Amino acid sequence: MKKTNPTIIIALFSIIIGIFIATQMKLNVDSYAPATLKSIQNMKDEINAINNEIVEMEMLVNQKEKELEVLENISLGNENIIDILEADLKINKTRAGRTRLEGPGIVITMYDNMDDEIVGMSIDDDIIHDIDILNILNDLKLAGAECISVNDQRVVSTSEIKCRGPVMGINDKVIGIPFIIKAIGDPKLLMASVNAPGTYGDALKNVYFIGFEPRIEDKIVIPAYIGDSGFDFAKPVGEED
Amino acid sequence: MFFALIGILIGAIIGFLLPYTYNTAYSLYISVAILACLDSVFGGIRANLEGSFSTKIFVSGFFGNSILAAFLAYIGDILGVPLYYAAIFTFGSRLFDNFASIRRILLQKKKSV
Repeated sequence: MKKTNPTIIIALFSIIIGIFIATQMKLNVDSYAPATLKSIQNMKDEINAINNEIVEMEMLVNQKEKELEVLENISLGNENIIDILEADLKINKTRAGRTRLEGPGIVITMYDNMDDEIVGMSIDDDIIHDIDILNILNDLKLAGAECISVNDQRVVSTSEIKCRGPVMGINDKVIGIPFIIKAIGDPKLLMASVNAPGTYGDALKNVYFIGFEPRIEDKIVIPAYIGDSGFDFAKPVGEED
Repeated sequence: MFFALIGILIGAIIGFLLPYTYNTAYSLYISVAILACLDSVFGGIRANLEGSFSTKIFVSGFFGNSILAAFLAYIGDILGVPLYYAAIFTFGSRLFDNFASIRRILLQKKKSV
């Protein structure tokens, strides 16, 4: 190779660098920070959360559109407003526990320990208390029970379950053993929530030997709540419907 | 020294005028390669001033270094380890070494004149 002027060669290659730099600048990329796996995961989580939000928003939009359709139908005279209000009333009554309901679920029969032998230190360990019923009801609610009754007394939001000596009080009525708890919901889930090892129901049955007989039934009828549900002190706040 | 700067300026003008761009995904590799090229040019200037400039060494270093640097960045991306740091540290420190030598040579020349 003939000796060329180094300055020319260097200048030529400098031009190449210049071209690259200019192209790079044209791209206008943000500064490159190395993306760690954690940051990628965080970003993915964020995207998922936002996507979920979008889905929820779409559902809300659909719901509102349906409501709008109903209102439009009313204004056009296609539907009678009384029918709609009656349907609404029915739904609200069901929610308030004012209707008889029927469906699959479990029935639990509970009674005191009938053995002559005393299990614990005191006789109290052999009988059913209000707290036992409350714990079972809580387990059932957690397992997705849609409606519950105790001795055909519907359990609603204001229902008390209180020990009254040898008997139990619920909805201002007095009930005695055997306690029959009915719950409508997914029968397998409800059964598992009171019968699986380690649950409260399992402990009642196998540790304290209290009568505890849950069984799955395909058709349970739960009666409506009968009683006062007026509000003397509480007043609604805001304009939420 | 100054012809290199002029060359870069001319290149930049050409680059801005050219309509071609590459995929943004390669941006990291190109930027590391640019650093390697800059180092080569500084090395070339220094060699030129010292009078030991060889075209073969310069050209092979120019392309070899830039390709190796881009390749390191690429491998690092695949492995999840920022290997291009190696290129940045090496070429960055060499860049300053070369520049220091160039400064000394130029200043001594000025003195002796």
